[in-house]
Amino acid sequence: MSPPQRVLILSACMVLLLAGPWLLGTYQQYLLNLVLVNIIIATGLNLLTGNAGQISLCHSSFVAIGAYATTLLYANVRLPFWLALPAGGLVAAACGALLGLPAIRLAGFYLALVTIGFLEVTQILVHELASVTGGVRGMLAPRPSVAGRLLATDLSLYYPVLAVTLGMLYAARNLRYSPLGRAFDAIRNSEAAAQALGIPIARIKLAAFTIAAFYAGVGGGLYAAVVGFIDPVEFGLWASVRHIIFIVVGGLGSVTGSVLGAAIITGLPEWLRRFQEYSDFVYGGLLLAFLVFMPRGIAGALADLRRGWHRSRARVAAIGSPSQ
Amino acid sequence: MTFFAARDLTVRFGGLVALRGVDLELNQGEIWGLIGPNGAGKTSFVNAVTGVVRVVAGQVVFRGCRIDGRPPHEIARLGIGRTFQHVEIFGDQTVRTNVIVGLDRHVGYRFWSSALGLPATRRLEQQTTQEADGLLQAMGLGAYRDVLAKDLPFGILKRVDLARALAARPRLLLLDEPTSGMSEAEAEQVVETCRSLARDRGVTLLVIEHNMRVIMELADRLVVLHHGEKIAEGPPDAVQQNPRVIEAYLGTSPVRA
Repeated sequence: MSPPQRVLILSACMVLLLAGPWLLGTYQQYLLNLVLVNIIIATGLNLLTGNAGQISLCHSSFVAIGAYATTLLYANVRLPFWLALPAGGLVAAACGALLGLPAIRLAGFYLALVTIGFLEVTQILVHELASVTGGVRGMLAPRPSVAGRLLATDLSLYYPVLAVTLGMLYAARNLRYSPLGRAFDAIRNSEAAAQALGIPIARIKLAAFTIAAFYAGVGGGLYAAVVGFIDPVEFGLWASVRHIIFIVVGGLGSVTGSVLGAAIITGLPEWLRRFQEYSDFVYGGLLLAFLVFMPRGIAGALADLRRGWHRSRARVAAIGSPSQ
Repeated sequence: MTFFAARDLTVRFGGLVALRGVDLELNQGEIWGLIGPNGAGKTSFVNAVTGVVRVVAGQVVFRGCRIDGRPPHEIARLGIGRTFQHVEIFGDQTVRTNVIVGLDRHVGYRFWSSALGLPATRRLEQQTTQEADGLLQAMGLGAYRDVLAKDLPFGILKRVDLARALAARPRLLLLDEPTSGMSEAEAEQVVETCRSLARDRGVTLLVIEHNMRVIMELADRLVVLHHGEKIAEGPPDAVQQNPRVIEAYLGTSPVRA
């Protein structure tokens, strides 16, 4: 892509992102907010699982922690929402580091079990601390405001959520192409080679768990604001599996993959409403099909397509030139 | 100050003694060959020095400090690099990224400035990429820099492994069969690279090699392991004539023609 082409495409995307929602109904606007929230959540998990290679079945717990922490800080402590949100993310990140401490000594099956344990503990705590969390009855999450104006409609909430999402995506992309992001990929590929190059494996894994939890926490805080209510049932094992489906379908290890996966899978239930009672079957089938036939997800397939296109163009150019 | 010394080094895997009381002292800028029949403990020696396997007894000293018992990444940061017998490459990354990971050690992790994409970080990334490309060019790998490592043949991956280890700028480099899977011409190029490393940059090399022609040509001195024990040490010519070495390689019973 030439630079002017890139500018053109980018500005077209911006216009679509900014003006598009005006054309949608309120329910679709609500759905769009959910898509953005899930993109943030998926991006965090993808850094941990897709890049650093650490399996986690408790990503939804960090979403829960972020949702409760943000809402409590906003509604009870009366912090401004846009301060409560990063604070909620930090609380989730601290819990992520706490989980990381034992988790960095484990791998594969044992790591999966520890994360399920963490998920259960979080669920039990939410139920037991009913005076704070509302227990099984859940908790109302008041709408945030910007500069004293309450963001009452889904459309008004859309823009700040979009800004946060774009910021988080920008940071994730930068991290991917930084020494830390390369260290993530290195330890997934070969721990032996990584440590021989001076990469402190334990510390890098801990960083991955912490960053992933921060993303989940911020996603959780926004989720509560978008939905207006925190229902603890939403943060069970099934939610964690859904987060894994996001990144497997979208593409492991790719920021674009997180975006595509979260967008498609969040929209899917709407398209599949007629098959609602078979939804577990559909999701399970999707996960299996992608793992078997398209292990690099949609983003991986797109990258292959693009590479093939460039190669065939190069071949055409080579045939056309007289020197060949 | 001792540059590198292993003293009375012992490594055990359960009941199996992989290394028994091995002594070895290297000076800066020397090229050493580490040879011995299969199962002699050559790779175990490399793993023990780099902290991957636990040293049961004895000590390892590098530039005046004890390094045995330290974690592998710290030992690497002190300036001991290695390559792998069976390549341990970052397969789904490009050749260039493989090398950049080696360079990153000198850049550091700079979390916030990376995440925010500050201009200083961008410049640093550009510098790192240029440095990586220069190194790849020098190693004759320039043509492969955008290829995913998993798509390359073994012989080229051995060179990528070497380039990546060099990117971390080691003072002591342990090479585990650097020319395996290579043609004679490619092996010759690796020998040249090793020589210029030692001569021009003062890197000390300890090379495990099965290709005797290569190692006799390359090494200033040889050390021979057999069943985990050092059985000979000295200049290549002398070691070649050593009856214990001949016995280890060929056995004792007379060979009938």
